[in-house]
Amino acid sequence: MGATSTGLLKVALVVAALGGLYLLALQEHAERDTLRQATVELTPDCTVKLHDYALSPGERYRSPYLTKLTGKSRDLRGYSDEDVRAIQRGCNIVDDLQGYWANGGPRERWYASRFSRGTHSSCRNCHQGVGDKQDAAGNRPVGSNGLGASWVMADMYDRFTGLLLPYELRQMQCYINSSNGFKPNAADDLIRDVTAYSRFLSAALDLRVGNHYPEQGTDEIPASATERRGDDYVRGAYVYREKCATCHGLQALGTVEQGRVLYPALAGPNSFTLDSRMNFARVNTVMPGFICRNMPLGKEGSLDNQECRDIAFYLSTLPRPAGDHQGPLVAVWQRLIMTVMPPLTRYAESLGRNHDQRSAN
Amino acid sequence: MSALADGLARMLPALRSNVLVGLTLAVVTLPQAIAFSTTLAGLPPHFGIYAAIWGVLFTAMLNPARVFSGGPNTTMSASIGVTLLPIAPPFGADYIGLALTLILLAGLIQTLFLLIRPLGRALDLISEPIINGLICGIGLFLIFKSLTSFGGLPINTEGEWPLWIAWQSFQAVLEFGNLYAIQIGLITLITSLVVRQIDALRNWAILIGVIAGTSYSAYLNAQVGLQNTLVEQIGNLSAVGFVYPSLPVFNQEALSDIISILPGAVTLALLGLFQTVAAMRRMNRKIGGYTDSRKGIFADAVSNCLLPFLSSLPTCASFNRMWLVYTMGGQSRLTSATSALLLLLMVLFLAKLIAIIPMPAMAAVIMVLGANMINWEDIRPHFQNRREGTVFVASFLSVLFLDLFEAVLVGSALAIAYSKWEQAHPNITLRDNVLKIRGNIYYGSLPVIESTYHAALARTPDVVIDFSECYYIDPEGIRWLAAMKTRRKAAFVDRRGGADRRDAEGPPTQSRGERRGEGRQRRRQDRRRRTDI
Repeated sequence: MGATSTGLLKVALVVAALGGLYLLALQEHAERDTLRQATVELTPDCTVKLHDYALSPGERYRSPYLTKLTGKSRDLRGYSDEDVRAIQRGCNIVDDLQGYWANGGPRERWYASRFSRGTHSSCRNCHQGVGDKQDAAGNRPVGSNGLGASWVMADMYDRFTGLLLPYELRQMQCYINSSNGFKPNAADDLIRDVTAYSRFLSAALDLRVGNHYPEQGTDEIPASATERRGDDYVRGAYVYREKCATCHGLQALGTVEQGRVLYPALAGPNSFTLDSRMNFARVNTVMPGFICRNMPLGKEGSLDNQECRDIAFYLSTLPRPAGDHQGPLVAVWQRLIMTVMPPLTRYAESLGRNHDQRSAN
Repeated sequence: MSALADGLARMLPALRSNVLVGLTLAVVTLPQAIAFSTTLAGLPPHFGIYAAIWGVLFTAMLNPARVFSGGPNTTMSASIGVTLLPIAPPFGADYIGLALTLILLAGLIQTLFLLIRPLGRALDLISEPIINGLICGIGLFLIFKSLTSFGGLPINTEGEWPLWIAWQSFQAVLEFGNLYAIQIGLITLITSLVVRQIDALRNWAILIGVIAGTSYSAYLNAQVGLQNTLVEQIGNLSAVGFVYPSLPVFNQEALSDIISILPGAVTLALLGLFQTVAAMRRMNRKIGGYTDSRKGIFADAVSNCLLPFLSSLPTCASFNRMWLVYTMGGQSRLTSATSALLLLLMVLFLAKLIAIIPMPAMAAVIMVLGANMINWEDIRPHFQNRREGTVFVASFLSVLFLDLFEAVLVGSALAIAYSKWEQAHPNITLRDNVLKIRGNIYYGSLPVIESTYHAALARTPDVVIDFSECYYIDPEGIRWLAAMKTRRKAAFVDRRGGADRRDAEGPPTQSRGERRGEGRQRRRQDRRRRTDI
């Protein structure tokens, strides 16, 4: 009898716990629903961008961008209130993944910061101009990682593994490698909203599915596109100091002012991982391409191909987090290196500076 | 006639319970089979189902252990995916061909373990705390892994840290999981938990749970419509037939790929054998029987050499399903064979009914299985000994933080280190001038012995070394003893004279050959008793 009653007690406890969890789930669902219904506070850049593209609910959508650039216009199916809110939230996430501009905290970004380690990562670090970089005339530069152009090749085969990657999985790769983080679930609003925003961009820019566009991805720079002097990280370090260090810092740890990230880290715990294709040691064409086409901000195209390769090579020699698949040993080692190297480097450089001063004296 | 009727009457209850356990096993295996082949191995679902039919049947026929259940396995399926994904796109013809080759290679490597005795014997070095750590780790892992399908969400397949995925999936289910799916899962879970408390229905618990979940899902489909509930179901299996012959790829073009998957084949073979040997040992001790692990290796090796010709995943022992058979009181390998045949019949004739079983209900069943595997009664003895406790915790944590294979390596390394440490510290006593050594004299323990010996020598000029209770002296030890003897610094005592030894070995009526054999046996037993202490 005693055994039965303790058994019943156990079952009652388990059922109560499960019931409690179910109630908690109902509450969390309700909270998500209210957030989905709430009006979205846009970040400054998103306000400008979405205003320029005349995003508003309606039966039809006509892109002002297309009219401005070509004089033609094209009627597309319009957006419901719900769609508009999803696009606005998507834009916010791309512009400000960490939620620095959000009044409601990380909740307003669907807790995106859960899925990235470190505090610097945001989509716009690589997808500049809130995922839609344009020059003054409204032209989209070559190799600027446009999200609209990315959407129109929505499902692509991975170049390296041959796997079919839907747009959702490609976003997950960003979280894992570029943000040194974790995969959100494919059904998460976080993924859906960014997809909605990307789709909207492709509509606003009149991009068609299956076509190739110049701003699609990075414009990769292989060694054959240089004069083949060989890549050299020492030369890269020199150019980095000249051209990049003022913003990204001498040790490439980024610039943060008053809690806001002005320029993201290119090394150290806040940057992309060893497994990322931005890591020159892993794929040696992507990072040089990104640098040449998108850096330095405002003076794009001022670096030559060899310089870009050298800088990327130099960056790959700096300590950064281990990749997702490299196991705990590599992770611990990289963590150690990331902790120990910056102060050591600073000390070594201070020695060099003293020496320079002495020889000058 | 009456004798036959009597016999039937006596056999009937056993037969009935066999069918019941077999049916439950079949119902439990089916979703695992489908999930393992599609989400982990990257192969079409019939691979898992054929493994659950032919793999289970072959191992049940070849393996004499009383409680044994083969079939598709999580880690083996996952390692197929991990090995082949970089080489070919999954579900494609190349991929399937290479997968079959991989399985065949693994089977051949397992045959090597059968042919080379020491290799097979090395598998026995996995101790009980390691196995229990693995079992508990896998139990938790199963619960975590089924969280997403419990909440009707897509599955995260990549290899991040399992604990982190579990936490993220839990939050995802709470925040935006499919509420209908959660309801179906909860109904299945709670029904089977409650039914388990009723003694008469204990063994029916999982089946009744699945039926309850399926009926609720059918009700929802009628009321709300599948297009609104969006709850995934097992789906159409009518394409799966009786056999589906296949041929592994082996040609000139594929040769470089085949060479590159060789390490994967070794891992696959080892993963299977580790689990089979460990699970057999654990289960046999639970039911108080003994089966030579070589028979398990034989069954696995032969099955895995045959299965790639029947388009099936590789087979090895499944901890969770053997646990199920054990807790339901299955006592013969007829149970597994019954489950394979029932599954075959179900797939052939009940495909339409199986098709409407919702995935959340299956996830709930897997959670129940996982929870059953964590059994405090089995774990508690390990915490009474610090070393065993350490080994247990290490292998448990390694499953959660590394993976199964590395967990076995970490656990074995620790266990071997502990036993070596034990052996390297023989019990040495010095009474007057007699130095008595109980334990091993070998390269590891020699420094310890030497230090005591030289300390004794400093005090008294003539030391007597008594190694009558030494049972193992390696060549290095013999050389040391000889050197001490030639320097005339020590006298030896081996009180166990030839006459004593003959008396101990029994009457001299036995033939010489037999006696020698028995002597060898005795020495082995002796050593085993020592390591147990």
